[in-house]
Amino acid sequence: MTLLHPLRFALALLIAAALVFLYTTLLRRKTAHDLAYSSIAFFAAAVQPRRWIPQLLDAGWMLALLALAFALGGVRLTAPMPVRDGAVFICIDTSGSMATTDVSPTRAAAALNAARAFIEESAPGTRIGLISFSAGASMIQPLSSDHALVEAALGQIPPPNGATAIGDALRLAASALPESGHRLIVLVTDGVNNTGVDPLEVAEWLGTQHIPVYTIGIGTPNGGYIPGSEDEATIDEGALREYAQVSGGAYARAEDATQLHDALARLGRVTSFAKQRVDATEGFTVAGVALLVVTFLTGLGLGRFG
Amino acid sequence: MPGGSPTSRRGDGYEFVELRGYVPGDDVRRIDWAATARSGELQTRIVLEDVGLTLAGILDDSPSMQVGRRRPLLGAAREALRLWYEVAEPEDRCVRVIGKALAPTSGLRGAPSAAAALGAGGSFELQQSLETARSALRAGTALLAIGDWFDLRDDADELLYVLARRYDCTALLARDPWFDGFALSGIVRMRGAEGGTLRAYVGKQEQARYEQAVRRREAQLLRRFALAGWRTGVLEESRGAASLAAAFGVRLAKAG
Repeated sequence: MTLLHPLRFALALLIAAALVFLYTTLLRRKTAHDLAYSSIAFFAAAVQPRRWIPQLLDAGWMLALLALAFALGGVRLTAPMPVRDGAVFICIDTSGSMATTDVSPTRAAAALNAARAFIEESAPGTRIGLISFSAGASMIQPLSSDHALVEAALGQIPPPNGATAIGDALRLAASALPESGHRLIVLVTDGVNNTGVDPLEVAEWLGTQHIPVYTIGIGTPNGGYIPGSEDEATIDEGALREYAQVSGGAYARAEDATQLHDALARLGRVTSFAKQRVDATEGFTVAGVALLVVTFLTGLGLGRFG
Repeated sequence: MPGGSPTSRRGDGYEFVELRGYVPGDDVRRIDWAATARSGELQTRIVLEDVGLTLAGILDDSPSMQVGRRRPLLGAAREALRLWYEVAEPEDRCVRVIGKALAPTSGLRGAPSAAAALGAGGSFELQQSLETARSALRAGTALLAIGDWFDLRDDADELLYVLARRYDCTALLARDPWFDGFALSGIVRMRGAEGGTLRAYVGKQEQARYEQAVRRREAQLLRRFALAGWRTGVLEESRGAASLAAAFGVRLAKAG
C-alpha cells in the first residue's frame, strides 16, 4: 500500500485523532444521559449488559475515520487485477497416447474438460487461442477475447492419433502471440516429444521473450498401453519440468481428471490476473462514508450514541 | 450525684461522682490507685450508673449513598437518622458510630447529643463501624444502621448476630433508586459512585434482569438481617423518616 499524498494522510490522521479525543472527552463528561450508580460491580454482575455493542460502534467510527483518512491520502493498493492485454495459447496434445484411459474417461477428454475450466476461470478480456498437436501442430482457434467462441472451438480439436511434436506446438504458439504484453503458453501433454523441432530450444527462446510455458503432464504413474498398439504411454516429466523452468513457467502433474481440471482452472485464475497498483481512493471513500452512515444509524437505532 | 436525678443511681457506669474509702465488697476494679497512693488508704471510685438510653446510629454516608433518582439516598437516610435521635429523652445519649470512633465523645445528652451526633463526620467504613459498635456501646443500646449494604461482607452474619444479642438493632436498607424499573435503555453510560464506569447496551432483556437482581438482593439482605435478629426496614428515597417509622410499624402523619 502506498499513498499519493502522505501529508494529507497525516493531516487526516491528526484530525481523526482529535475527533477521537473529543469523542472520548465527551464520553467522560457528565450528561443528562449519564447514570450515577451505587455499585457498577453489582450492576455488571447482575445484569450482564452487552458491552460489545458500543465497542462495535466505536470500532465503526474509528474504521470509518481511518478509511476516509486513507482516501484523503490518495491510497494506492497493490492488488491482483485482470490483465488487459493478456494472451494465452493452450496447446493440447492429440497424439495417440491421449486415448489412454488411465485418466477417466480418456486423457484427451479430460484435457478438453480442463481446458474448458481454464477458459472459464480466465479474466474477461484475456485473449485465448487453441493449438492441437500430434505429428504436427494446428491452429484450432486464433487468439480471441470471446471466451464462448474459444470454448466452442474445443470441439474442433481432433481425436488422439499420431506422434508428439511438442516443439512444433510451442513454435506455432510463439509465432501467433503478440510481440508484447502479458503472454503465456499452457502446454497439456502426456508424452515425450518424438518429432518436429526441439521443444527445449523453443522454450529457451520463449524464456528470452518473457513468454512462460506452463506445462501440465497428464497420466498415472503406471500409465498404460496406447489403445490399439503395444506401446506404453509414458511421460517425460523431466523434460516438461525443464521446458517450464527455462521459460519461466511452472510444471504440474495431473494423475486424474479432477487434478487436471483443478490445475488448469487455477492456472486460468493465476495467469490472467497480475498484481497492479490501483487507485483505491474511491473504494476507501465509499467504504468510509458507508461505515459512517451505518454506524450513525445503528447508534440512532440503539437509542443514542453513547 | 448522690440522690441525683431519677435517671441515675450509684453503681456501674461511667459518670464519676466521688471517692470514698474502700469497703469490703467493693469491686476491686473500682479502686483508684492514684488516690490510694496519695491518701495511704484504699480509695474506691463511685460512679453513676447510667439508666438513660443510648441511641446509636451507623449511617453509611459513603459515595454509594449519594446516588438517587430525584435526590441522593443519603438525604433520606439523614431524615431517618434525625427522627431516630429526635425520640431521645433529655437523659438519653445519642451517638454516631463512624469507623473506629464514637461521636460525640463528650458526655452530652438529649438534644445536644442528637445534634452533635447528626453533625458528626468522618471516614465511614462499614465493617469497622460494626466492630466499633460491638466493642464500644453499652449493652441495651438501641442501634440503627442505615446503608445500601453493598460493603457488607459475606462473613458478617456472626457479627450481626452478636450485635443483635447485645443491642436492640434495626437495619434500614436503602432501596435501589431504580427498584421499580431501570431508567435508561439503549447505550447507557454508568458511573460508579465509588469508582468505575460502564458503557453498555441495555435492552429489555437487561432491564428485566436488573429488576430481578435488585429485588433478589433486597430480599436476601433483609433476610440476613432478620435471621441475625435485627429489625428491618426499607429506606425509600422519597420517604426518609417514614421509612424508619414503618420499620417500627408506625405510620407518620406526614411522610418524609
